[in-house]
This record gives sequence, C-alpha cells and structure tokens, in this order.
Amino acid sequence: MGFLEWRDDFRIGIPEVDHEHRQLIGLINSLHGRLVGPGQGAGIGEFLGELHAQISAHFALEETVMRSRRYAEFADHKQDHERLLDEIREIMDGYELHGRYDARTLSDALDTWFGEHFRTRDARLHAALATAGD
Amino acid sequence: MSAFRAGLRALFDYADSLLEQAFGARWNPCAQLGALGWLCFWLVAGTGIYLYIFVDTGVTAAYESVESLTHRQWWAGGIMRSLHRYASDAMILLAGVHLLREFAHDRMRGVRWFAWVTGLLLLPLIYACGVTGYWMVWDRLAQYVAQTTTEWLDALPLFAEPLARNFLDASHLSGRFFTLMAYIHIFAPLALLLFMWVHIQRHSGARVNPERGLAIGTLLMLTALSLTWPAMSQPAADLGTVAAVLPLDWFYLAVYPLIDRHGGAAVWLGVLAAGAVLFALPWLPPLRRPLPAVVDLNNCNGCGRCATDCPFGAIEMAPRTDAAAYTQQALVDPDRCVSCGLCVGACPTATPFRRAAALQAGIELPELRAAELRDQVVAIGGGLTVRPRILVFHCEHSAPLPHADASLGIVPLPCIGMLPPSFLDFVLSRGHADGILLAGCRSGECHFRLGDRFTEERIAGLRDPALRERVPRERVGLTWCGTTERRRRLADLGAFRSALLQAPAAVSAPVHGRTAWRLAAQAGVYTVSALLIGTVSCWPNYRQLEPDAAVVKLSFSHAAQRVEACAQLTTAELARLPINMRVRTNCRRDRWPVTVDLVFDGKLLYHGTHLAAGLQNDGPSTIYRRFAVPAGPHALTVRIRDTGRTSGYDYEASRGITLRPGRSFVIDFASAGTGFTFRGSEG
Repeated sequence: MGFLEWRDDFRIGIPEVDHEHRQLIGLINSLHGRLVGPGQGAGIGEFLGELHAQISAHFALEETVMRSRRYAEFADHKQDHERLLDEIREIMDGYELHGRYDARTLSDALDTWFGEHFRTRDARLHAALATAGD
Repeated sequence: MSAFRAGLRALFDYADSLLEQAFGARWNPCAQLGALGWLCFWLVAGTGIYLYIFVDTGVTAAYESVESLTHRQWWAGGIMRSLHRYASDAMILLAGVHLLREFAHDRMRGVRWFAWVTGLLLLPLIYACGVTGYWMVWDRLAQYVAQTTTEWLDALPLFAEPLARNFLDASHLSGRFFTLMAYIHIFAPLALLLFMWVHIQRHSGARVNPERGLAIGTLLMLTALSLTWPAMSQPAADLGTVAAVLPLDWFYLAVYPLIDRHGGAAVWLGVLAAGAVLFALPWLPPLRRPLPAVVDLNNCNGCGRCATDCPFGAIEMAPRTDAAAYTQQALVDPDRCVSCGLCVGACPTATPFRRAAALQAGIELPELRAAELRDQVVAIGGGLTVRPRILVFHCEHSAPLPHADASLGIVPLPCIGMLPPSFLDFVLSRGHADGILLAGCRSGECHFRLGDRFTEERIAGLRDPALRERVPRERVGLTWCGTTERRRRLADLGAFRSALLQAPAAVSAPVHGRTAWRLAAQAGVYTVSALLIGTVSCWPNYRQLEPDAAVVKLSFSHAAQRVEACAQLTTAELARLPINMRVRTNCRRDRWPVTVDLVFDGKLLYHGTHLAAGLQNDGPSTIYRRFAVPAGPHALTVRIRDTGRTSGYDYEASRGITLRPGRSFVIDFASAGTGFTFRGSEG
C-alpha cells in the first residue's frame, strides 16, 4: 500500500495537472518505499534530485495554468510552492551534505507537504476553476 | 572585412563605455537607438499633423503658408516646423548608427537576417518621407530637390515622359503635383510605420519606447535646437532662376550632388550595388550557424516558460504530438532560433540536482547540453584549490577574463541567460566554489537582447525560474562589460574576490561618477548631438552653379513621323478581314527616332537620337537635357530630324540670346503650330 493515495477529490479538473499530481504521488510513494524498505536509503540523493526537478516542472505548469486563468489567489498559491521547494531543498542538502536523513521526519515532511498543499491550495484552485466554468 | 568589423566594434564599445558613464546603464542611448528612432517617428508624426493643418499645396500658396507658419506663428508653428525637420534628421542619424552598430556586433547573421533586411527596407521609406517634405515647402531648395529628384527618377526606364519636364519653367508647373507630394508625404510615413512594426516582429518584447529620462532629454535637446536654430525657408522657388549656392540637408540629400555630377543612372547603380551588398551581408561568410534548440518531449510538460522567455519569438506552445497526458508542448522554429539558450535557463527541468545520467532538460542546446554544463561545473569546480574559489560563467560575447587558475574557474556560455538559477544553488550548496561571478555583455546590451535583464530578474526573484531565496546573494556577483572593457572586468573580478574574503575593499566598482559630473556629461552629449544635427542639416553649402554661369534646358516631347505612311484599304481588301477588324485606314504604328542637334556659339553642344517611346515605338520621343553655360550673349541653333531622311533636318531655328547669370533658359518644341519656343529671361 502506498504512503499517499490518490483520491478523486484531489482532481482540479485540468487533465495535465491531475496527471502530474498522480505521477508525483507515485514518485513520493516510491521514495517512501526506498526509505523504509530493504537496502534503506540507497540512491536517495539522486532520487530526491529527480523529485525536485519534477516538482519544479509541475509547479511551473500549475502556475502557468493559474496565470492564464487569472486565478485570484495566485500569489498565495505560488508562495506555497516556493516554500515547498525550499523545504525539499533543505531535505536534499541535509541528506547530501550530512548524510542525514530520518525516514520518519522525511515521511512526515512529505505528508504535510503534499497532503496539506493538496487539501488546501489545490482544492481551492479546483473550486475556483469549477465556478469559473472550466 | 572582419578586421573592419572588429575595429568598428571596438569603437562602438569605447563609445558605449563613455556614454554609460555619463548616462548610466539604464539610460545609455547606445542600447536604445531603435527606441529613440521610434520616439523621433512619433515626434515627426505629431508635429506633421500640426503643420498639415496650416500648410497649403498650391504653387504659390505652399511657400506663403510655410512662411506665415514660420514667422507669424514662430512660437508654435515655427517650433513645430523646426522639430519636424530636426527629428527627421535625428531619425536618419539614429537609423545609420543603429545599422552600423548591429553590423559591428554581427547581429544580423543567419536567422537574425529578418530584422536586418526589414530595417534596410525602412531606409528608402524614410528618404521618401524626407525628400517629399523638402519638396512641399517650394522654396529654392525644394526647387533643386524637385529638379534633381525627377531627373534621378527619369534615369529609370519607368516614365514615358520625363518627370523633370514638370519643372522646366513656371508654365509647366501644376498645383496638382503638390497635392500628389502631400499624399506621398502622408502615405510614405504610414508605410514606414507599418514596416517599423514588421521590423520588430521577431523580437519578443521589442523596445519601442526609450527610457523616460532619455526621451525627455532628447525632446529637450531637439526643442532647444529648434529655438536657437529654427528651420527657415530659402527664397521662394522661381523656375526661371537657378540658385547657385544651396544649404543642403546632407542627412537626406547627400547623393544629390552626385546625381548632378555623374548622372542619375550611375547613382542608381551605386545605390543599388551598395544596397545589394547590405542585403546580402547576413549570408556572407564566415557563416557559422549554431544548432537550434531542441525540445525533449519526455521532459516537457508544456509549462511555457521557454516560450515566454525566448527573445526572438522562436518558441511557440503547440498541441501535443505525443501520447502524453499534457495538452501543450514547446515547439522551436529553427529559422528563428539564435541558439542563445535563454530557453534552457528558463526550463524547470534543467537542474543539476538531477542524476547526471538522467539530466536531460525539456529544451536543450545540442552544442551545450545541460548535462555537459553540469559536468563542466563539477570538473572545473573540482580543480579549484585556492580560496576564495571563484567560478565564473562567462558570456562569449563579452569582455575577456584573465586565464583560469587554481582560484578561478571559467565556464563559457553563449549567453549568461542560458544558466538556470538552480546551477547557482547547486554550485554553492554543494561547495563546488565559494563564489560565482556571472560575466555577461554590457548591461542593457546583451548580444541576444534580454539575457542580462532576465538573469537579474531571476536572481531578484522577479522572474521564473527564480533563484531560491536560500542561496546567499553575497556569493553571487554580476559583471556586465562590453567586449573591450577588459579593465573594468578585472576590477569587477577583484572587487568580487575582496568581497568574498570580506576584505574592507570597495565592493561595488564605481561605475558612475558624481551626479553633477554626469549631468554635465549628459548635457555635453546632447549639445554635441544637437550641433551635429543642426550643422549637417544645412552645412556645408552646395554650389550648384558657378557664379557667372547660366543654365540652358533643352526639352520637348515630340512624336516623329511614322515609318510607313498609312494605307487606305479598298473595299475588297476590307471584305477579306474579320468583321471586327474592318478599319479603312491601316497604319504601321512605329515611328522614326528623333535626332536633335544643339549648336551653341558655333560648337555642337548636344547631339542625340531619341527613340520613340512605347514597346512598339509608337509614342513620342522625349528629351530633357540641362547644360550649364557661361552667362552673356550667345548664338543658338537647334535642329530636329523626325523622318527617315539621312541628311538635313526637318525643323531648325536660330536665335541670338543673352543669358544672365543664375537664370535658366528653356528650348521647347511642339510640332503643331508653335514649332520651337525659347523661354526664359534674356538680357
């Protein structure tokens, strides 16, 4: 069983964004699997790098969508993206420079990370786009 | 050629340095010559609309209306007129320097041909505007412009009857011609505006407005010039008189004396040859064409950042062509891509934190892939052993750096804007260097237009992808220097090194002097520009005619006899023809050429044979010749042969005349009735 699970109410109604959300959940789950599974922590640094790149690209796409639809809470949503990217960079540095990682902390971080962002920002975006008739 | 270009480039770079010190990077006029040209266009258009309210287009009314505007309304119309002239002159000056500068920096190569070619096309339009403008005033200068322009156009095989005949003498002059001029003078600028718009089509975010301060300065300069040195008319035009000495506007009329001296055809050849070379420049060797950017769909989710940042509009977002769940993808137009790499700098997947083996960005330059860039950074960073270890990303188009050593690593880039901000984060957080210096072109003058601006905005967090806030800004230095500014670059490098060591050295190189000095320098630049514009617009004088000379014009339009007389068909012959072709009088259409002799004081001044006009040689033969001759009493004989005879003449007239200096005398001919006419003032 995955660590995070895709739920239909995560959908924001834009196929490519939803597609990437699903992909990201998959990635996070497989990271989680590496963290807690056998051979713990092998290749985590590189994996984090890939995750970071994908999330960056995903946020770029989501921001483009929000901009093109003149989403009212764009600034707040983008700020949250920046915060999340900063956090994942912290995790990367912690791992890379100090070999420090704690499976639990990391899992918790990712949970808050995605869970929170999905439940709040993305849900709001979904609602806004739905009322805008998209 | 390349040595010439290099010299020119160094010259421009020194001028840029000086102007940058006086105006600062943002106001540096060198970086916005095109935008200043636009400003001048609007100035000319605005003042032109005002002038048009008052200007008349009649033969005598034109001059009077302009005179009244200049003198009775000097405080408005007069200033407008002067602004109209000086802004037009400034436009030629700006266009010329702009063209030379783009040539010097080699910015018209390969796919950048478009702006070069469309820019060249603007020149004839600007000239058309200027020449018709001088014409409309109808003073002595206008008279000269009219005569020479029409003579020049007549050198082209376009007009059956020479245009110059319209300006033979007052009896030929029609007010209609001035209406036509007014139309051209209105439509040429409209066409110019259209082409100016086309000219900037392939530049995204093209600059059409100069910085406000610079715009105000330019406006003040032109106004001051207009007040101190107002544009004035010459005496009213008089087709019986030839102005011996004329103050030419050399910006617009520089080739006119050449037309007088060498004839219209030679000047056309010269102009067309020069034009052909200029048009061909983008494709002349050495033509090195770097490979255009390519999109990797596996890494492209269609976020569109590359399309937003492309300075040449070479990327568009298009419907997806693969089966991925995305709707859009980036699509590169290789014919517009200059391979600057700004798209790579904008791509969120071009991050060196990815596994080296997997590092493939959504958009890449084939000649410098993100993975290669990462390898270079790691390798060069690893070779740095002496602190502070400085890694310089160096734009290939900017000032050179000292040789790399144990504390200085250099990674070359086509443009600083190619560097994704995540590389800065990567280098500093992974300890590949202690500091990063971004060394690009002179500020505001990026070889690829926007690299410096985008880099600064990304670092300041104003543009995506932004440099993460966690990256220590004091470890990232910027140095924007033109190609010849080696010393400034060394100073910037030294300052950055000291700052890294936290030495109490001057951190920022003093690029700008004190405010008072700068203002004085700006005033100096404006004054010199105003003097240049004011002077070249009316000095040096051009001597069209020696002081004791007069002009004889020989011109007529005459249909010679037909080669064969018309035949009358008999009724029987008519009956054999199709019903729609039964015309009793059957004529071969072609005519004999007309041979003309002009004997002046017993010497043959002119002898020529003129073919009948028209594809079938069925039109009139025309002649227009102008001769400068000594003033005084002379004997003239003019003879015409317009039949197939081999000796003798069909028409002949002689006359004793006295020519006064600076006057013109016209010999015309009309076969019906009047025969030869001699007009003009005799003693």
